[in-house]
Amino acid sequence: MLDQDLIRKWLDEGTINHAQAEKMRADLEEYKKEHRSKKQIIAFSTIGAILIGIGAILFVASNWEKIGDTVKVLLLAGSTVGIHYTGHRLKYENRKYPRLGSALLLLSALLFGASLFLIAQIYNINANNSTLVLVWLLGVFPLIYGYRSAPIAGLCSLLFYLWIGILYGERTDLNKLINIWDLYLVSGIALYFTGILHGLAENVKHAEKTFEFMGLQAVLFALFIHTFNLGGYKVEKVVPVIYAFLGILILAVLCLERFRSKLTGFQVDAGMAVISFLVAGITLTAVYSPLSEKTYTGLFNIIFLGFLILLLYAGYNTENIGIINTAMFWFIPLIFARYFDFFWELLPRSFFFILGGLVLLAISVVLERKRRELKVRFAGVRQ
Amino acid sequence: MNQKKILYLTVIFWLLIFSGFIAYKEYTLRTGTEVMLKTLPVDPRDLFRGDYVILNYEISTLDMEKIPAEDSYFTYNDRIYLALELKDGYGVPKKIYRTPPENEFYIKGTVKDVLYEWETDESDLATEETIKELRIHYGIESYFVPEGRGIEIEREQRAGSKGVDVKVIVDKYGNAIIKSLLIDGKEIEF
Repeated sequence: MLDQDLIRKWLDEGTINHAQAEKMRADLEEYKKEHRSKKQIIAFSTIGAILIGIGAILFVASNWEKIGDTVKVLLLAGSTVGIHYTGHRLKYENRKYPRLGSALLLLSALLFGASLFLIAQIYNINANNSTLVLVWLLGVFPLIYGYRSAPIAGLCSLLFYLWIGILYGERTDLNKLINIWDLYLVSGIALYFTGILHGLAENVKHAEKTFEFMGLQAVLFALFIHTFNLGGYKVEKVVPVIYAFLGILILAVLCLERFRSKLTGFQVDAGMAVISFLVAGITLTAVYSPLSEKTYTGLFNIIFLGFLILLLYAGYNTENIGIINTAMFWFIPLIFARYFDFFWELLPRSFFFILGGLVLLAISVVLERKRRELKVRFAGVRQ
Repeated sequence: MNQKKILYLTVIFWLLIFSGFIAYKEYTLRTGTEVMLKTLPVDPRDLFRGDYVILNYEISTLDMEKIPAEDSYFTYNDRIYLALELKDGYGVPKKIYRTPPENEFYIKGTVKDVLYEWETDESDLATEETIKELRIHYGIESYFVPEGRGIEIEREQRAGSKGVDVKVIVDKYGNAIIKSLLIDGKEIEF
């Protein structure tokens, strides 16, 4: 994007005159103002929709006895349909408030879930039932594509994680197959891969970033949990196969030239494939030749730290502030956790800070070098 | 597909899901047979539906030495059909089936735990395992109550050592729905 520095530079070089510079400055300011305003509308309306949705779910959970069951169902199901229709009208027919319309469509997806849980509550369907979450997920999933809605893709990702969590609690036989953190790691990689696939086709590209973001968060969360000593690492033979399979799928997409050109986050995508293969290797050792708990904890710490550094590098390289923020966000709990785990006494603590500082200095050297390369390349293009 | 069609399809799809759920449960309520089951309740909270009472029925634990079974081997998540005999309105286990029995009043359940018993030889080594007990879920283990009322039920039960029963409707396919909760024979109302 054009900024004031560039305009000044062009003015100094004589590429543009003062009148052109003034016009560019005015247009730039106008564009920024409009862009900011759009973002504010999206933020306020989406947060508003989420708050109302949470309120409706809590209303169902309170099981207020002053209103009869039939009235409650009619009220909530009616609101779901009514708000959905209003959202549709504002976004596609009236078109005066498209962002508010999108937020109302998200709200209707939340109210659909609240209505479903209300019916389940009335008929006393067993608590913590994974099928209900699955029905909610399947009920709103088509809207991702029907209305090209990224927030609903986010909601579906959350429901997917919630569903596998409850299912894991319900089906005790799953414990023997895979531990819950590996299940989330596999799910996160799979969701990230779903995001990559969405990036390949123009008509579903709107969901790419959301699925990738949600997948990445689950991967980082599960890896972070693995950096602790969990006491015994056991998985079934099929788990390394699943990891390796996901790694191969991601690599296959990245290796195909016609796909690669469509992908924006190549470095993170490749990093995700590497994570899949590394964890496939680790789980393979857990099956055939188990290592000590400390070794696994150490390995996961190295993988997690390495992945965060890769994310930082990739984020700066592609000017993707979302990736940079994600990496910085996960650095904080890692530093806190390891600080309290290993560096309680003064001498180890001093080493911890020196080592941490050295790592950051090394990263800054790499980034500086990269920046210089880019500058040289840029200058070359100009000449 | 245009946006108008997507709107109509979504609304129809959602209403079908709502009415499907209601119709499925209403079918059982309207066509099923009423039966009382004895319980032991406690009160936790569901993320989306609030306070509820966990219902652990007498028929939730089946003693394989006392109740005849069509098959002697069951594993986790197996479907079972428990034939019930009505004694003073209460459902009492009669026989465990693998498939829906004909000419019997039965309730459908799923095996959630299996307790084994081992026979040992002279040197105390296990020689044969037999199933001692089955823990079954019938899909009627939760009763949702208004906020804070679950604790009241539990307190009343503890203080007066009152019996808590559940009135359940079971349809001809063995599907069960809780109709009401009874403390000392009285239906509780909220």
